[in-house]
Amino acid sequence: MKGFGDYLRKVREQRRSEDATFSVRQLASRVGVEPSYLSKVERGQQPPPSEKTIAALARELDQDPDVLLAMAGKVSGDLQAIIRNRPKLFADLIRQLKDTPDHAVLRLVREVRDGEW
Amino acid sequence: MIELASNVLNFTFPDVHPEAELQINFQRTLRIPDDDHDYPLPPGLGTFPIQHVDDHAANVPSSWLQHGGVMLPMFQSEAMWLDFDSSWIEQNDVAYPFAIKVAAGKQCAISGEPWNEGVTGKPQNYMVAPEQPWLDGFVVEKGCIRQFVAMPLGAGYSAEEQITGAAQHGGLQVAVYPMKRNVFERRFPKVKRMKNTQSHDVCYSMPECCSAPDMGLAPGGRMKQEIYSDPYDVDDWDIEAGGRCFVHLCNSMTWQSLTGEVPPHPAPTAKVYSSSGLPWFDYYDDPMTAVGGSPILAKLKSVAQLSAEKKDAALPENESVTPGNLVLCRKGLKQGQVREGAI
Repeated sequence: MKGFGDYLRKVREQRRSEDATFSVRQLASRVGVEPSYLSKVERGQQPPPSEKTIAALARELDQDPDVLLAMAGKVSGDLQAIIRNRPKLFADLIRQLKDTPDHAVLRLVREVRDGEW
Repeated sequence: MIELASNVLNFTFPDVHPEAELQINFQRTLRIPDDDHDYPLPPGLGTFPIQHVDDHAANVPSSWLQHGGVMLPMFQSEAMWLDFDSSWIEQNDVAYPFAIKVAAGKQCAISGEPWNEGVTGKPQNYMVAPEQPWLDGFVVEKGCIRQFVAMPLGAGYSAEEQITGAAQHGGLQVAVYPMKRNVFERRFPKVKRMKNTQSHDVCYSMPECCSAPDMGLAPGGRMKQEIYSDPYDVDDWDIEAGGRCFVHLCNSMTWQSLTGEVPPHPAPTAKVYSSSGLPWFDYYDDPMTAVGGSPILAKLKSVAQLSAEKKDAALPENESVTPGNLVLCRKGLKQGQVREGAI
């Protein structure tokens, strides 16, 4: 995704202004990729990296991993598994909620079901 | 509406009062000796883990799915008590009142009568929160209960089997009714100044049967506990708004195969607990009066009595104990007195 690289660079440079260990070279080394690769990702010359690398970048840069993944056009593996397990249910749910305001979505609670007895 | 969060059943009534909430949790505790002495209140040793039956639909008996509700694990001969916590309404400077019914195998633990919808005043078949902070067992006499002890359903020990002759339902049934809103506002008008309120926060485990996981509650040892008479009117309770829940008691031996999770360890014996100097509790709420015992429940035989008659060994480690460390909890006196024991 176009915005991913830009966002990544912005966040990294913000950290680097406070902490020199957030140069491309040092960050790349910590998350286990080549510095030239990371630089290309930031400049949009390479597509976003794997889920594992994005998760590592999120940890390093104190970002929410789901948000960073979404910017990279990805959904975390565990969410995918949940949806794939009951695809119709969750697809319907997500589509129904797509325009619901935040507070209303968060209020969704799971009730204890009462049956016949 | 009833939600389950962190092993607590949350009963809310948004149509009655947005802040009216009653929480019920089920406390693991030690089994008091079944020896016809009257014991003080044993501690709470942590909550039983509760799960929705629907989350294990593939594994639980179909009757449980029909009932809906939740389930929790108990070992044979393990004891429990129920803890009630009513939400504080700041504007009226009071905890919201609720009527609570508890039945074991659909036999009321207060009146001994069969489960029905709604509340009755004579005999009183419900408790009132916040005045009633907990319930430890079947009300056999005024000021005395016999402790809730789990036994396999079908073994003949449960109160349900003794009263009805059949092992049909098992488990626990709970219903909660809020006070009618207009009655609440009349009895507890809003206060102008906001007092610094101190909430009285007190919290306070045979023959192996078949492999069916259903447990029922049987009457165990005797304990001093008062069920307080309703200080309000029986018509003050909003029956239509009530919520109810079937709490299935699952034999801990099968809990892991049903849920994939390890059940908690059974509680220590009363002897071990007491000899460690850990506290027992005595609770007073002076102005309140207590309901009389149920004649139906008074006739129940305790697990020890039945076990002797059947020549079973249903209650291992039933030695009498003299509780040495007794903590007095008087309502309103001390904050921070919790009915807790640490092991």
